Amino acid sequence: MEIKLNGELRKVDVSPWETLLEVLRNKLGATEVKNGCSKGDCGACAVILDERPVNSCLTLALQANGKEVVTLKGIGTEEKLHPLQKCFIEGGAIQCGFCTAGHIVSAKALLDKNPRPTRDEIREAISGNLCRCTGYKKIVEAIEGAALEA
Amino acid sequence: MEFLSLSDLKEVLKVKQERKDLAKCIAGGTNFVPDMRSREVSFEQIIDLTALEELNHIKEENGTLSIGALTSISDIASSPVIGKLSPVLSRAAGQLGNPLTRNRATIGGNLANASPAADMAPPLLALDAEIHMERWEQEERKIPIDQFFLGPNKTMLEDDEIITRITFTSPKNPTKGSHFKLGLRNSMAISVVSIAVMLEMNGSECRKARVGLGAVAPKPVRAYRAEKILEGKELDETLIEQCAAIVKEDISPISDIRASAEYRKLVASTLLKRTLREALEGREK
Amino acid sequence: MPGERKTDMSSRDGYQIIGKPMPRHDAWDKALGKTKYADDFSMPGMLYGKVLRSRYPAAKILTIDTSEAERLPGVEAVLTAKDVPNNETVTRFGQTHEVGGFEGLYRVLADKKIRYMGEGIALIAAKTQEIAEKAAKLIRVDYEMLPGVFDPVEAMKPGAYQVGESESNVICNYKVRKGHIEEGFAQSDIIIENTYRVPHVEHAFLEPDSGVAWIDENDVITIRVSTQVMEHFRGVADVLGIPHNQVRVVVPMVGGGFGSKEDITVETYLALLTQRTGKPVKMTYTREESILVTSKRHPYVMKYKTGATKDGKLVALEAELISDAGAHIYLSPWVLLYSTVNATGPYDITHVKVDAYTVLTNNTFCSANRGFGVPQVCFAYESQMDELAKRLNLSPLEIRKKNYLKKGDALATGRVLNYAVETQQTAEKTSAALGELSKPRLPNEKIGRGIASGMMSYGRMVFLHDTSRSYVGVELDGSVTVKCGVQDIGGGQASSLASIAAEVLGVSMKDVKVFIGDTALTPIAGTTTATRQLYMSGNATLSAATEVKNNILNKAGQMMEAHPGDLVIRDKRIHVRGVPSRFITLESAIKACAAEGIPLYNVAQFKGPFRELIDFKTGQGQVFPDFTFGSHAAEVAVDTETGSVKLLKLIACYDVGRAINPLSVEGQLEGGALYGLGYALTEKIILDKGITLTPSFSEYLIPTSLDAPDVKTIIVESGGGAGPFGAKGIGEPACVSVAPAIANAVCNAIGARIFDLPLTPEKILRALKKIS
Repeated sequence: MEIKLNGELRKVDVSPWETLLEVLRNKLGATEVKNGCSKGDCGACAVILDERPVNSCLTLALQANGKEVVTLKGIGTEEKLHPLQKCFIEGGAIQCGFCTAGHIVSAKALLDKNPRPTRDEIREAISGNLCRCTGYKKIVEAIEGAALEA
Repeated sequence: MEFLSLSDLKEVLKVKQERKDLAKCIAGGTNFVPDMRSREVSFEQIIDLTALEELNHIKEENGTLSIGALTSISDIASSPVIGKLSPVLSRAAGQLGNPLTRNRATIGGNLANASPAADMAPPLLALDAEIHMERWEQEERKIPIDQFFLGPNKTMLEDDEIITRITFTSPKNPTKGSHFKLGLRNSMAISVVSIAVMLEMNGSECRKARVGLGAVAPKPVRAYRAEKILEGKELDETLIEQCAAIVKEDISPISDIRASAEYRKLVASTLLKRTLREALEGREK
Repeated sequence: MPGERKTDMSSRDGYQIIGKPMPRHDAWDKALGKTKYADDFSMPGMLYGKVLRSRYPAAKILTIDTSEAERLPGVEAVLTAKDVPNNETVTRFGQTHEVGGFEGLYRVLADKKIRYMGEGIALIAAKTQEIAEKAAKLIRVDYEMLPGVFDPVEAMKPGAYQVGESESNVICNYKVRKGHIEEGFAQSDIIIENTYRVPHVEHAFLEPDSGVAWIDENDVITIRVSTQVMEHFRGVADVLGIPHNQVRVVVPMVGGGFGSKEDITVETYLALLTQRTGKPVKMTYTREESILVTSKRHPYVMKYKTGATKDGKLVALEAELISDAGAHIYLSPWVLLYSTVNATGPYDITHVKVDAYTVLTNNTFCSANRGFGVPQVCFAYESQMDELAKRLNLSPLEIRKKNYLKKGDALATGRVLNYAVETQQTAEKTSAALGELSKPRLPNEKIGRGIASGMMSYGRMVFLHDTSRSYVGVELDGSVTVKCGVQDIGGGQASSLASIAAEVLGVSMKDVKVFIGDTALTPIAGTTTATRQLYMSGNATLSAATEVKNNILNKAGQMMEAHPGDLVIRDKRIHVRGVPSRFITLESAIKACAAEGIPLYNVAQFKGPFRELIDFKTGQGQVFPDFTFGSHAAEVAVDTETGSVKLLKLIACYDVGRAINPLSVEGQLEGGALYGLGYALTEKIILDKGITLTPSFSEYLIPTSLDAPDVKTIIVESGGGAGPFGAKGIGEPACVSVAPAIANAVCNAIGARIFDLPLTPEKILRALKKIS
């Protein structure tokens, strides 16, 4: 199959039962996409698939054939930090960091559609992303801050 | 195992006709993928339906709303058409799962999976929806939704059929509706009790009442006894209380890890009162 | 925005870094997706490991047939108990188990008897994960079911099913005796007796247990694993029967632990498989596996009988605590000891009698979980305080103020509190921060408020003679290296060390590199448990950095003809305090030291207090170095028709001594608030005769963003802690008093008390007598 991963065309052999998450992590080197539960219950595996944030663990890899996938690494880089990344870093919104990729993906998808979300809209947008460390407060504040900067 | 990405409905129907249950259809995958990984599978082909554009639509034509089976739950939740004509459906869609799963989950998938707690069922029951199914080289058939579900994860869908669309008549003005989903937390919650109510009014008289409930029986159900109490009557508090009392006979909840049967009975009754009052006041939270 | 602080100590004391909110040094890599957690790492030729686990909670293993699995192409090892060099290791502690002693058995693979569902029976290593899982299904195990016992109270009775190999299921028991309890109750004007119950709870860290092991070119078995305790290398070596220096544990950034990764998880399995196959092996638990087989928080049955005068002065407390240890001992005796010492709460009580037991059952084993036995008793004693308040017509705050322990007072165990004790201040602040009572938004809604105070130790039990070591070195160009064996589980354990070293050496955070978690290469800093890292490793780092600074300043003093005590290092220069024009470059002082062999590095050891074991018959003596005190306040809206609870306000105020990084402290308080919120309202691992009915995050519900109230944090900095710069630990204390504050608020709202957690909507309707 072929996908555009963070803007780059990638070809890879997959089995019918492999999920997008498995292929991203094991075959395409995208270990920034995390596996928290493999059941769609935690959002750690969130990626943007054709402009919509989805659980990559619930998508069969072949269902993404010919499509565009954006992960955390497609949102910002060391040279060009996305305001979301900057605000997460500066706002103390990252503790163990395992949920961070999924949260930033959901937040990016939100800001793409709604550049000035309210706090309630932010909470709603990340309500499929679990965090056990931060209590969500600084995450919400970081997304709010990033919306103002972006 | 083979993966088939088909973009033509006829091709899909042909494969289903030939292979029956050996070919399983996947739409959003939000139930399919965890199920597939948790047990031994006997199917040999996966048919990916997500390229069937013709089954992905929300259309209003001549007073009938048609929603393609492959329409995502998030599209239903944000659809202005549905928001205007049947807000109970928007509301239920907005509370299914979480924003990530809503982007993949489809209305057809939710109904075909037929969990007794299926979030889309109560509002569709209240809307008197019809489920349209097709099989190879046969005419489309349709079943009223209240005959569609047979039991936990069991429906009238044959092993060579797929759901193509769901239709319902646009509620006549003035129709009032309300919906409530009770879960143990505010997102990613399997319903403990869910209820949708549609009241077609004639002044203060209720001409037609439809009550759909989820998670209170082996399948999503209509509260027929409660509806009968309401129809043709002036709606007042006494009637609402009577309704609430009799709805307990319309349901047969079980006790499970989320709640006991007694709790579900009590809350179903309470929520019926609440949704009826909200519907009458035209107030939906 | 930073929380409210008692004093802005950082500016008063002139610190550059300590006390300033700043990003952690590891935040960038985490935000960029560069951090490689355990499962993100692979080695060439790596195999995949899988554990075959018992399907029954109590059974005898009659036969195990691995032949078919071994024959499956791609399978490179199948191991059972007979293949493990030392399948059982025993730690003995104390004299007899009737007086607090116990024998902890660590059994790698189940041999003849199964004690809990999910117990490991066989290990497989195969070329792919898929093949490993297929092989697991091909192993045939013949079981003979045994009745088992699943309730600790039942398991204590004579004649109960024997879970383990010793005679009694009671692992050990502890007592506290202070004064004369009968006299106490005789003097009480009011006595309140209640039994409280709390359930099994899951840590629910986001990163499932995982690791990769391989044999390096030195024949050293190297295990790169998500763990809180790298010192398990010794236990692993003992199991394999090889010298300790032949096992190396390396710890990457850990995606959450909360106590679950304090015990050995995948390490031994990986070591055995890599030793057998000679190849690297990866093992990552599925989420279901992690929930089913790793440790849980102990459920407790707590009988509390509290006596007070009519003025609200506590006179007597009698408590019986029974905890369900589950199938294996692990840390149950220590969790029990924490509960025992903390059973009275932060209150002065004249007569105290505590009897605590921890009991084996065939449920999932219980061990460390954030709070380590304290959240459980805090729920009990803080509920009792509110019950007393209600009966005596005192406000919850009033009755607590009449009884708070203050600095210089003694606990019921005789331990004098010699560090700061600011509980009252925290209770007053949280109460005040509740502000105006919210109005119900619906006719069926009732509003309620509650407070709760808590105390939780930081630093390990003193008879363990805890130490931590840290290396701080200055490179020739003035950049700083810290090497410390801390395990960073998300609490900023590594970053705090960078802050401390940077502060002391007058450099910026960017100038410091921290190397952590490597038993071969970093000084051993002890476990990341017991809220001890800032206290122990922070102090060790402070010492090491200070020693290096002194060496440099002594040399600089000579070079500048100034007293070293008058010199300041800042911005790569050393200048006389107050006279910045009189300076030399840091680099020149460093070079001078290097030329003369003056050490530009130091490895410092910090020792916690070393005391002997307390008397387990009376509970008298010192157990902990110090405690962190604080309070929570909550306001809830209860829907009295459905029983649903909404948190309107949740306020946390704890005295952290000194906030090294206020952003981090707020983060712990905000996260701890939600950890406690889940405990209060939604979290319960449901076990039915040893079978877990809540094996995924669909059934085991932790709070989502839509369940989180806007937590308000108030940081108190008394400066009176034993940690660096007067800090106290906050990791565990942050969650201890949350659930009782919420429980008290719910009780206030509905006028009825619920005696067991979680406070589900159904229980609330039952308490309101709406369901019989």
